[in-house]
Amino acid sequence: MSVLSEHLIEEIRELPAKYPQPRSAVMPALDLAQEEAGYLTPEAMSEVAAALNLDPGYVEGVATFYTLFHLEPVGKHRFYVCTNLSCTLRGATDIVEHVKSAIGVHEAGELSKDGFFSYEEVECLGACEYAPVMRLDHRYEKDLTANKIDALIAERRSPTKAAVAHAPLPSPLPEGERAKPKPRARKPKSG
Amino acid sequence: MAEQRGTVGGPVLTEWFATKDLHKLDVYESLGGYSALRKVVKEMTAGQVIDEVKASGLRGRGGADFPTATKWSFVPKDHPGPKYIVVNADESEPGSAKDRYLMENSPHMLVEGAAIASFAIGGHAAWVYIRGEYDLPFEMLRDAIAEARAKGYLGDHPFGTDYPLEVRLYRGHGAYICGEETALLESLEGKRAQPRSRPPFPAVKGAWGMPTAVNNVETLSTVPWIMRHGGAEYAKRGTEKSKGTRMVTVSGDVQKPGNYEIEIGVTYRHIIEELAGGPIPGRKIKVFWPGGSSAKVLPASMLDTSTDLDGLKALGTMGGSGGIIVMDDSHCVVKGAARLLRFYAFESCGKCTPCRVGGNWAVRTYDRILAGQGSQLELGILERVSDGLQNGRCLCGLGDAAGWVIESTMRHFRNEYEEHCLHNVCSVEAALVNA
Ligand SMILES: Cc1cc2nc3c(=O)[nH]c(=O)nc-3n(C[C@H](O)[C@H](O)[C@H](O)COP(=O)(O)O)c2cc1C
Ligand code: SF4
Ligand code: FES
Repeated sequence: MSVLSEHLIEEIRELPAKYPQPRSAVMPALDLAQEEAGYLTPEAMSEVAAALNLDPGYVEGVATFYTLFHLEPVGKHRFYVCTNLSCTLRGATDIVEHVKSAIGVHEAGELSKDGFFSYEEVECLGACEYAPVMRLDHRYEKDLTANKIDALIAERRSPTKAAVAHAPLPSPLPEGERAKPKPRARKPKSG
Repeated sequence: MAEQRGTVGGPVLTEWFATKDLHKLDVYESLGGYSALRKVVKEMTAGQVIDEVKASGLRGRGGADFPTATKWSFVPKDHPGPKYIVVNADESEPGSAKDRYLMENSPHMLVEGAAIASFAIGGHAAWVYIRGEYDLPFEMLRDAIAEARAKGYLGDHPFGTDYPLEVRLYRGHGAYICGEETALLESLEGKRAQPRSRPPFPAVKGAWGMPTAVNNVETLSTVPWIMRHGGAEYAKRGTEKSKGTRMVTVSGDVQKPGNYEIEIGVTYRHIIEELAGGPIPGRKIKVFWPGGSSAKVLPASMLDTSTDLDGLKALGTMGGSGGIIVMDDSHCVVKGAARLLRFYAFESCGKCTPCRVGGNWAVRTYDRILAGQGSQLELGILERVSDGLQNGRCLCGLGDAAGWVIESTMRHFRNEYEEHCLHNVCSVEAALVNA
């Protein structure tokens, strides 16, 4: 049983042609796999490796180098809170404490009870003029306060407002063009 | 349209930033956008483009201040295969946010600049390596490129010529070291991002083994203006040797943090007190990082220092990435330095020993000091570690930068270090409690 869908594997097989050398496809491919599977399991990485004709150990070596690849389950909404200098000068430490208590976790990476949230302390996000800052659901949340964080969490917990919280994800592909997912072949209904 | 916190309507880079929807091709073009690329591909030779940029005196804004035209001229003219421009959009230097500001507000400016640069080195493709966290700038660039292609400004026949030009995007995945140009190239090739030893230099053997010029976002965003107005016009701005304008990001303990376009040569006092509104009421500025966290700190007594690049070098520090981090008297320098060392140790790629081991030594030493277990010994360790990281002992600039943070904060704030280590007190916090 493969963990990645057939059409995703097909999409990954088409990636190398987009680059001057095929190996460059490894990160975009891992990105697609992570988007579909939530995080990168050893099986998912092996399947990426097979689709790209690379050694699984090599693919894992790349995945473990970069912080945006996750090798463990992450909450559906992960708070990437910047705690580098400019943010710390403007209260990032309190922001982290508030996030922890608001989602009810003790440490970075831990999933909230409902599996919805987790947080991570990250290095400078390149938005220091809005410190303290975090990245959440592919958007930056700026000038953070405890109230702002509570509102962001409430939005994501309330099903009616959920649409707001799920901004369309940017495509990980180089040109931002995704091949249209091909309809999966269905087994003909018997009878 | 992106949010703006900084200069709009500045002299060069932010000239058009007050215009609504500048990120759209028709708006950008109505102001004069793409006229530079049109002129370049239709009327000029590669050599003429390089000469114009040379006349401008433009130096790279990624941190190393290297003259842009010289870098382009190192790319061999007679190379038979592909040659590349690689745009360094990995901006991750603590304190620096200006490349994001430029890309979010005016993505076409970068696309146009990257295409002109490709033409100048006799190449046909520019690859933008953009940090993975920059979702919005990525989307804006993606859409800008698509618009330019649809309009026939990029593609096989830009402006009806037979000189193919492409701008392509590649997303990073979280690693500060990818900002270092050879690590960036490794990453672009699908590898772990560890800097290469030089030579060969990227100009000879860069992306995918081909001659390559790596340029910063701001550097290339300046190029269309230079081609519209002429290099001489650009060179009228700035100082004798540091021409033009540049972006600075002011963050930390100021009233109006933001990205400001400045004419090179103005003082830090002007930037921090006038543009960024000065200190928070009731506070005094204590120290600032003049060019990103990797630039040696300067105490507030040196606020009248000029932003002239060579002047900063003479002081042993640098204009670097333009990220100005301001710290006031309510914050402890030792804690600030400890936080930055944690950053450098975490981001070390691990390839060379002084950086890999030294960074962690420093972190453990700072931990002991801040836990009240410091002594004369810890001061000595920090001095030795800082020395071990510098002066070419590391393969790339990350190691030096880590050393500079320790060295420069210890040099100017020896008292704060000694109080922590020898008396186990944080004089800054004590003063706050007693206030
Ligand atoms: C550790 C390290 C990190 C760097 N990070 C960046 C960066 O994020 N962006 C950038 O443009 N240059 C960065 N640089 C500088 C690049 O190596 C390179 O000099 C620059 O991209 C060249 O472009 P320029 O000539 O236009 O400045 C970094 C250098 C080092 C040593
Ligand atoms: S100095 Fe540090 S980051 Fe640079 S190559 Fe050496 S180990 Fe890697
Ligand atoms: S330090 Fe937090 S965004 Fe730069």
